[in-house]
Amino acid sequence: MKEKDGFIDCPQQQVILYVEKEDGKYEPIQTGSYLTKNYLDDYELKRRHLEESLKKQVLSGEVSPIYYYMVLEELTLSELGARAGIRKGKVKKHLEAAHFNSIPRETLQLYADVFNITVPDMLKILVAKPDDSVNTNTVS
Amino acid sequence: MGTIAYKHKMAAHCESGAVTSLLNNAGLDITEPLVFGISSGIFFGYFHKMKSFAFPTFIVRNKPGSIRKNLAKRLGIKFHTEKFHTPDEGMKRLDELLGKNIPVAVQVDFFYMDYLPEWERVHINVHFIVVVGKEGSKYIVSDSYFPKLVELESASLRKARFAGGSMSPKGFLFYPEYIPKDIDYKKAIIKGTKKACFNMLKIPLPFVGIKGIRMFAKKIVEWPSFARDTEHLSHEIMKINILLEDQGTGGAGFRFMYATYLQQASAILGKPEWSGLSKEMMEIGDGWREISLFASRIGKNRELGPDRLKELGAMLNGRAETEERFFRRLKNSIN
Repeated sequence: MKEKDGFIDCPQQQVILYVEKEDGKYEPIQTGSYLTKNYLDDYELKRRHLEESLKKQVLSGEVSPIYYYMVLEELTLSELGARAGIRKGKVKKHLEAAHFNSIPRETLQLYADVFNITVPDMLKILVAKPDDSVNTNTVS
Repeated sequence: MGTIAYKHKMAAHCESGAVTSLLNNAGLDITEPLVFGISSGIFFGYFHKMKSFAFPTFIVRNKPGSIRKNLAKRLGIKFHTEKFHTPDEGMKRLDELLGKNIPVAVQVDFFYMDYLPEWERVHINVHFIVVVGKEGSKYIVSDSYFPKLVELESASLRKARFAGGSMSPKGFLFYPEYIPKDIDYKKAIIKGTKKACFNMLKIPLPFVGIKGIRMFAKKIVEWPSFARDTEHLSHEIMKINILLEDQGTGGAGFRFMYATYLQQASAILGKPEWSGLSKEMMEIGDGWREISLFASRIGKNRELGPDRLKELGAMLNGRAETEERFFRRLKNSIN
């Protein structure tokens, strides 16, 4: 990769790229992310569609808010269980809307910690309208 | 508590970057490519089905922690390392070390690095940052992926250091304790390069090294069966670009950084043939870059039918063939 081909103007996401300089030496340059520069809008579009589709599933009682966040944060059932310190079998139940109301507050907190949101934020989705945006990135 | 005087520098990769940065700040003049090459950082592994991953994925570097361990063994450096039973113990110990003006590298879940944009942050327990100070409730952090020193809330650092799940950090921290005055780089380069050739050519597992690239090439056509819908498949295919280019690899899945290592090693060893090999590795990297761009393009255009995926598989097979020839030649140049 020649230096002239490596530079990407993308201040939102900077990366280090090793390139060939004019004198033939290989050195690092600070440049930008190709994907963020060219395709961030596409990522956001897909993310929005996924949020909407999951929200519909929650509001129609197919799945619980825990399922919503698990899928959004790209976690598997066993990974979520291991992170929250909850048995896999229990997590499986908690993903179902029917069992969500019986989850104790302390257990909800364990999930909220993994998702990096507050419990009230997690519950917000249950009263959201299908086109409302739910903040998935609030620091608790 | 305050902040330790620390020279922050962005790096290609978080682990080789944290190790290089700690050593540079402790007075050892060593480059990130040398750290990466000596520690046999270059690798390939493909994971088609794993409990902890929601989708097939691949890695382009050796096991997390190996960069520090292999470098220490080969250069005679000693790193102090610690893990903790409870977050309270781990945070207290970090504060004690900062109080003694010791910059400390910690292993964290990348997801809680609040200073990075949301779209970059995923749950992965093997990110490394260097903590260099504490101001009120915030820690001052040197992260190879961020252009300057940055603040991180204490609560976020605590969560990140004690996240559970696969490869859980358990508060792991390290810092250099001893750096020898005279280092035999030549011996270390030979050892590190030999091991990298072994990893790429000889490990008898079908999903690692060259065999792993071939498995990736073969299995990519099965990816649609894992996807919820076309947009999900598009997202995962575009992540090929992220894993090769954006998640701290120095470009082309570490291949550009390895080329730089070989160029630097060629000068240290006085081995001109490695200069030629470094050029070849740079070209191999260009091929990986084409794969990254192709994956992002077909992902964006939703051209994800069997023909396009086969085309992607053929490009990956091309990399496998070129890298197999390359690593055999590199290995033969040592013996």
